[in-house]
Amino acid sequence: MIHVVNATNQGEYLNEMEQVWRLRHRVFVEGKGWSELAKPDGREIDQFDTPSAIHFLLMRGREVVAYSRLLPTAGPHLLSDVFPKLCQEPLPRDHATYEWTRQAVSPEYRVRGKAPPLTYDLVAGIVEWGLSNGVSRITAQIPMSYLLRMLQLHFRARPLGLPVEIAGESIIAVAAEFDGATLARVNQIRGDSRSILASVPAYLVA
Amino acid sequence: MMRRNLDLTLGFLKLLDRCVTAEDVRQILNKHLNQFGITTYVAGVVYGPKLRPREQLGQALLYTMPSEWRRRYTAQGYWFKDPTIPLLGIIRDPFTWGEAMDRAGEDAAARRVLGEAGEFGMAQGVTVPLSTLEGDLAGFSFSGPRVELAPAERSMLHVVATYAFAQLLLIRDASLGLDSVTLAPRERETLQWVAEGKTAWEIGQVMGISEKGVEYHLQAVRAKLGAVNSTQAVAKALRYGLIA
Repeated sequence: MIHVVNATNQGEYLNEMEQVWRLRHRVFVEGKGWSELAKPDGREIDQFDTPSAIHFLLMRGREVVAYSRLLPTAGPHLLSDVFPKLCQEPLPRDHATYEWTRQAVSPEYRVRGKAPPLTYDLVAGIVEWGLSNGVSRITAQIPMSYLLRMLQLHFRARPLGLPVEIAGESIIAVAAEFDGATLARVNQIRGDSRSILASVPAYLVA
Repeated sequence: MMRRNLDLTLGFLKLLDRCVTAEDVRQILNKHLNQFGITTYVAGVVYGPKLRPREQLGQALLYTMPSEWRRRYTAQGYWFKDPTIPLLGIIRDPFTWGEAMDRAGEDAAARRVLGEAGEFGMAQGVTVPLSTLEGDLAGFSFSGPRVELAPAERSMLHVVATYAFAQLLLIRDASLGLDSVTLAPRERETLQWVAEGKTAWEIGQVMGISEKGVEYHLQAVRAKLGAVNSTQAVAKALRYGLIA
């Protein structure tokens, strides 16, 4: 199940958010070598982890096994503040668009050569949450190798710029619209059309 | 240079949505890419060692090379000597055939494949490696008598190839009506066991039927999915959520 955590309920997820900071450090600093994110206490938190951030925690029991973060594009986010060089097209910034970053799967659940199944659970969670909260578009900077998969998942992705080499990978900024057809497709790949979100209290509505 | 290439890419994408056949895709590829000397296209998924070269080429999403070249390529076993194919699993970004040749070094067979391609009008080319949702390697090659791309143009081609490939997949699957395929429960169960690596004998044991019975179900599955063998049937069934 995916638990959606933001400022209003973060107090109930203290232990889980500690797992999140450490998972992020393992995946991005140790795994991908993004040393600029390194923190001496092994907890990867950046300037965008504010009360506006929305955290998606995929839990197995009490363990956080995968994670993604959504940031409102109305505020500061990666594409607007850190990597504007990836965009030559106007950056969508509105209440229906969130930036998707820090997609992480625990190393124990990775599969070589293809996206691990947990990735699709995260995608389903985000799309499901978006559809219930008036969000129909995400922006992201993705490796070019992910773009075909995104298109196969029926995200209507549009390039915001041409790919740029960052830390040895070809990265492209995209704006991708999604809808019920996207969710149906992701669930088809997952082989499960049941909701993946843990019951979401009303105060989590965007 | 960036802006111009991005505009070219966005213009291409607008027209791509309206393509309903592979031929439509070829025409808009020509419209946008002839200016770089690109005239010929090959795009397809690499289905793994179980599929014979003739079948691999037969399953290509787009193939516009001269048929005499295809005959020669197949007859000479060039699939196994073509230096661009193994690179699909090694390099993530587009590479030129010149770069593939440099990596092949002293490999005479590799030199011969690319040299002969030149005799058929494809002296230079760029191959874009791709990987699908199902975890398969795929490639999209662009070639012509003389292909010249600046680095920014190579980035543009990377994007164009990805979108064109996605559209070609949609076109192919629509034509196969795969969205509406249903497998009978026994057919699905048999294929699920194949996906988990069980032999025909083991599956027969588990399902309480003979090996012939297992083969009978698999034949039906392959026919329904338009797959040339069980490996491909599993791949297609996974993509369409027919098995988990």
